[in-house]
Amino acid sequence: MKDLLTKINNTATQKFGAQYAEARAQKLYKTSLTLKEERVEAAKQGIENGVAIRVLINGAWGFASVGSLDSAILDEAVSDACRMAKLASERLKTPIKIANVKVVDDHVLSKPKKNPTDIIMEDKIKTALAINKASLSFDKKIKSCSVDYFDLTGSSFFVNSEGTSVEQDKLYVWARMTASASTEGVFTFSREEIGSTAGYELFDEQSPEAIGEKVAKRAIEQLNAKSPRGGKFPVVLGPNVVGVFVHEAFGHLAEADLALSGGVLATNLGKKIGSNLVTFYDDGTIDGAFGAFKYDDEGVPSQKTLLIKDGVVTGLMHNRETAQKFNAQPTGNARAEDFRVEPIIRMRCTYMAPRDQTIEELIEDVKSGYYFKSFRGGQANLDGTFQVGIQEGYEIEKGEIGAPVRNASISGNTLETLHEVDAVGKDFLLDPGRCGKGQTAFISDGGPHIRISKVVVGGSA
Amino acid sequence: MAVLEKNIMISLAENAVKAALNKGAQEAEAYVYEGQASNIGIELGQISKTNRIIDRGLGIRVAANKAIGFAYTNIVDDPVSVESAVTSALSAARASKPDPDWNGLPQKKPYSLTQKTFDKKIVALSSEELVNIASTMLDAAGQVDKRVFPIEGGVGSAYLSNAIANSNGITGFDKGTVIECSVATLAKEGNTVTPVCFEFNAARNYVLDPAWVGKQAARMAVSALKTKSVETKSGKVILTQFALQDLLAYTLINAIRADSVQRDQSPFKGKIGEQVASENLTICDDGLFVGGLRTGMFDGEGVPHQKTTVIEKGILRNFLYDNYSAKKDGKESTGNASRAGYLSTPSIDTTNFHILPGNKTSDEMLKEVDDGLIVYYLQGAHSSNPVSGEFSVVATPAWKIKNGEITHCSRGVMLAGNIFELIKNISVVGGNERQMGQLVSPWLQVENVRVIGQ
Repeated sequence: MKDLLTKINNTATQKFGAQYAEARAQKLYKTSLTLKEERVEAAKQGIENGVAIRVLINGAWGFASVGSLDSAILDEAVSDACRMAKLASERLKTPIKIANVKVVDDHVLSKPKKNPTDIIMEDKIKTALAINKASLSFDKKIKSCSVDYFDLTGSSFFVNSEGTSVEQDKLYVWARMTASASTEGVFTFSREEIGSTAGYELFDEQSPEAIGEKVAKRAIEQLNAKSPRGGKFPVVLGPNVVGVFVHEAFGHLAEADLALSGGVLATNLGKKIGSNLVTFYDDGTIDGAFGAFKYDDEGVPSQKTLLIKDGVVTGLMHNRETAQKFNAQPTGNARAEDFRVEPIIRMRCTYMAPRDQTIEELIEDVKSGYYFKSFRGGQANLDGTFQVGIQEGYEIEKGEIGAPVRNASISGNTLETLHEVDAVGKDFLLDPGRCGKGQTAFISDGGPHIRISKVVVGGSA
Repeated sequence: MAVLEKNIMISLAENAVKAALNKGAQEAEAYVYEGQASNIGIELGQISKTNRIIDRGLGIRVAANKAIGFAYTNIVDDPVSVESAVTSALSAARASKPDPDWNGLPQKKPYSLTQKTFDKKIVALSSEELVNIASTMLDAAGQVDKRVFPIEGGVGSAYLSNAIANSNGITGFDKGTVIECSVATLAKEGNTVTPVCFEFNAARNYVLDPAWVGKQAARMAVSALKTKSVETKSGKVILTQFALQDLLAYTLINAIRADSVQRDQSPFKGKIGEQVASENLTICDDGLFVGGLRTGMFDGEGVPHQKTTVIEKGILRNFLYDNYSAKKDGKESTGNASRAGYLSTPSIDTTNFHILPGNKTSDEMLKEVDDGLIVYYLQGAHSSNPVSGEFSVVATPAWKIKNGEITHCSRGVMLAGNIFELIKNISVVGGNERQMGQLVSPWLQVENVRVIGQ
């Protein structure tokens, strides 16, 4: 495979005059299942093979991908990529350059305790069924529940014209559980996700029954929940909400491509944008975490990147192109969903660092506010406007957690809100997730419990 | 790479079905997909990247003793990998559990011809022409105002085809084209950065107005520079297609899917024939809509596309069915089985979700609002409750309307409510219809929307 990819790169550089070329080949095996109310909708297996070619010619990128390893087809693809890049380069004002990186030659093996390819389909169905059963039998008011199971294995080869060559095993195990409940015209919905790059042993750490009950319990509890009052309130956020808040409200702004695109962080490097308690990392080196990997899709080693320290912006997430623009080092954040698409800057495991307070201390000082424990979706804009939907939340009255509230959301501007972080817990939790930015990336996010002294809470009451 | 011809696509599908039956499947269905796309990308105000993506593959679904297995491969020119996908689908089915509700694959029915879904001019379009379109769009955006930055966007053309065959004798082939151009801009002045403003054109035929797209995106960004807060209250809101597309996709559309109804996940259960929305609202799902972005001869199971009335003058008329859910209710599929290419089994989705237009122009609608908001872009719609329809989203941004004029922009305005209440409060349906993904809709004016200001 290395020879084939090297040949493609040589064609690009020698025949078409590319200043840089990279080729990425993948063989991916996927298994997935959907269960609804203990019924297996379909058991699915798939194989994908393909090659991605990326070239830099006269300062413009050309990219081509094909689902084939046939050398005539690959020749045509490299020719397409080079021809189109040359065309685009004719209108360039600022030619693209890429930062220098060390040449790497490595072979990364995954070492699962339980390899999903060794688990037979019947057993995967059995696990999913156990989750589904636990949800459905939790309460009669549970009307529907589903389990989506997915695993991916295979290998990815990366070779570039500078001599870097990386072969990496790929391994992901993931499941999403949902439950809906209804009574007297009230409808509720609850969702959980689990995921790992370690192996199928994920299901030994959390029993299928416990996962199934957790998702059902929330749907039932929400039946008696009321809508929150809209307005500004102090809120305590659990790690699951903190994770998505860090990811959405800050993380995307710290992706160097979005910062360059006019995002509010570009002009705030080195400046204090949050309280002293705010320290964020994006870390690709956490063993087994859903967002972790050894090398990114430009062949750059993954690392632990400090983004904010004690409220001061210290760095951004880079690929080779943005690192060159910022005169920074690439951070190993260039990721492509698969061979069909080009690598772009993506997060890995993004989290807030814990401090020293207990959860009780965070809550007891709140006279009237909310405790938001679990999120449902979140989104941010380049101007720093963020929104995070809440699937599990409670009132806090006089320092005590009270009645559940449903369908709340928080929103505000990141640059204002981070200053309002006035207490940070000592606990810590990381959750798996999937992030959409045109492509899907598997990520993790999390942190400790935190308190925000005021934020806009949206509710329908 | 030359595209796969009709006869090759169909025989790939038919041969896979035959192979599955030979190997012991009781029923089989094969779906073959091909997409060839060229894109010119804009980043940081310049054309700096291009891509050419060719994707093809075959997905096979089999039934063995009422248990369903599915497998796919993206290597269709090698009979061995197609054969191994067939084997894999069967082994998945045999490992799976029987589904007592499985009632067979669909039967063959005649297809209607579609209009304006394929344009050979798009297929023949050169990369030079795509670059020219991108340039026109960029230049137009840049000329509006110095404070505007076109941050990203692009121009893309694609040829898409699919073929289907099943063991009940269904065979079908359809091909189409799409062309689109889009640009996202923001405006900067001092320390103020506006939210991202977006505009696009997308069509099945070669009709684009890149200069309009560029100008419009830039004008929106400029108008978002000057902001003032709005008060927290309930009031009139005009929802444009951008806002509707986001909001409906995560709420109302779930409620009209037959599988949601059957699984007690829809407040519309048992309400066929009842008034569920304002009399102003009529919605059809129309898989044959002329030039529709989701128009095609047949759905992901080879069932003919059709036009289905979902809500008629506020009265709930029909749900959207695939073959499985239809059989469960003793009905016929409405042709709403949707596929994500060859990678997955079909699931229920809308084709073109058509909200029928009224007759007011955009200007007339604005003029008649004494006090309200107009909302283009929403953030957080995907965090809506997909079952209850409750939403709590941010307008990025909203524009205030006072005495029939847009007066200023406001940031961070939240809209909260319930989609099933919202559709009862639609007071004006515009005549300014526009296609956006699965949605074909005019603007809608809604009364009594909860607005939470900063």
